Amino acid sequence: MTNMQDVKEFVTEYIQREYTVPEDKDIMILNYIEEGYIDSMGFIQFISTIEDEFGIEFEVEDIENPDMRIVGKLIEIIKDKLNA
Amino acid sequence: MFYQNASDMPEKQAIWCDGKTATYKEMADLVSRYSNFLVSKGVQYGDHLAIPMNNSIESVALFFTAADLGVCLVPLNPTLPLESIKVAMQSGDMKHLIARKSFLSDCEKKGGVEVLGVTVCLDGDFEGAYSFSEVATMPTTRPACKHVNGDESLILTMTSGSTGTPKPIDISQQNKVDRSLAHIRVYGLTKEDRILAATPLYHSLAERLVILPLILGATSILLPRFTPALWLKCAAEQKPTFTIAVSAQLAQILELLKQNNTEGIDSFRSIVSSSALLEEKVKMELIDRLHCEFHEMYGTSETSTITDICFQAAPNKQKSVGYPFDEAKVRILFDDEERDCVVGEVGEIACKSKLTCKGYYKMDNMMQLAMVDGYFRTGDLGYVDEDGYLYFAGRKKELIITGAINVYPNDIDMVVRQIPEVEECAAFSYPDDRLGEVVALAIVRKDDCELTERTIKTYCARNLADFQQPHKVFFVDALPKNAMGKLMRNSILEQIRLSGLD
Repeated sequence: MTNMQDVKEFVTEYIQREYTVPEDKDIMILNYIEEGYIDSMGFIQFISTIEDEFGIEFEVEDIENPDMRIVGKLIEIIKDKLNA
Repeated sequence: MFYQNASDMPEKQAIWCDGKTATYKEMADLVSRYSNFLVSKGVQYGDHLAIPMNNSIESVALFFTAADLGVCLVPLNPTLPLESIKVAMQSGDMKHLIARKSFLSDCEKKGGVEVLGVTVCLDGDFEGAYSFSEVATMPTTRPACKHVNGDESLILTMTSGSTGTPKPIDISQQNKVDRSLAHIRVYGLTKEDRILAATPLYHSLAERLVILPLILGATSILLPRFTPALWLKCAAEQKPTFTIAVSAQLAQILELLKQNNTEGIDSFRSIVSSSALLEEKVKMELIDRLHCEFHEMYGTSETSTITDICFQAAPNKQKSVGYPFDEAKVRILFDDEERDCVVGEVGEIACKSKLTCKGYYKMDNMMQLAMVDGYFRTGDLGYVDEDGYLYFAGRKKELIITGAINVYPNDIDMVVRQIPEVEECAAFSYPDDRLGEVVALAIVRKDDCELTERTIKTYCARNLADFQQPHKVFFVDALPKNAMGKLMRNSILEQIRLSGLD
């Protein structure tokens, strides 16, 4: 059983691989694509890495869902998949 | 030059990046501390130091630390797959590694990379690595560096840091300074300028744009990450006066300006577009919103900038990429290289410049192969007009340039071919409004095999760097080949369009 804290840690660490999000910013509402933490070309790599890490699979409609680009909402989507 | 500026105007702002600033004194202190830190850990004159580099004040300081110690930096794209990092580290003879924790931890998970010297972790602690936080405890006295004479390699730029053999472009300290001085002269830059760099620091363009202001005594504005919104916000707040941008970035900035219907930016004195020629309409709209002189340039990583043109100063040369710098000469070689092309005749662009790099590191023969009578063959096609202005007409070599980053299609083919269901494949250039070009893939599936676009994209995501990712995948019955069976990569797009697949 994957701990939800692990999901949050994995996602927030991945997003900050190259740049640390400033402390005064609420990372949970961060749009990591718009803010350039991951670029559009790196997005598919990010998604594949999540799939491998948690043994889940995203559908095309998940990938197109704008919520996938918001840290907190992405964590919720992963959580739903894990509980499904 | 940089230390002289720090002594002459210690309180002047040297740099801004991501909300942080440093004065010349603070920057000089950081450079000296960084040097003392590396020396204390055993880094020596002539060593090669790898850094998967992000855009930060610390990364900029490291360029000056390297120059001061006579060590050579090898900036790497941090998104490269581990295998490519290993190949790059070997071909660049890298002894030490400076990286963020996530990079080190990723490497460890995937079997590690061999570091013969010192490993430094930039953010926090990592087992077996020194912590960068120690830098703050180091003295600010500049370490004595008697050996350094300017001929030392300062930067090795990896031109193909992927599955193919990288060709590390060897740039000496003096060469980097000469390149900066040439740009300062051509663009009339002064200490009053605020110079914006908005591409990654592992890219030679950004390296030039951060080193140049600091040796000039101007101010460097370094955008941490590029998105059009971040660029516009930075331009509005930091008021840069000069930048060299990638044409694909400018096209995205214009798109956003039009969407938002905002007034635009008025701090720029001039903007230079590089990488690909912008359409005249795009240029006019940019000038309208950025209110400044607009230049285009042409060059290569090996030779630095070769030509420049100011859009407003040469209204009858709108399609040209410019007139050669004083340091450079241009020839257009006919196909057999035995004669030069006549005015208006298309051939391969070859350039001779005082700003040319030392060569490819440990690959003298590769550089010699690219030279004809002292002229570097660029692999680009073009022609010159009766006034000596150069015009770009396409590419001779197989190359995809996406957002100013060179992608070698063979590198992608080699990876995709490993998918068991793939009979044949070929990566090719596909036109894109945002990035100029993107990577597309044509795939021939093995008989009776199922293979989806998603499977291919997932495989690529795991095995290729982000800039190599295919944006489009087309399943075809066969790839276009000539009578000798050689792949005709330049015909793939046409074939796909004729088949109605696009």
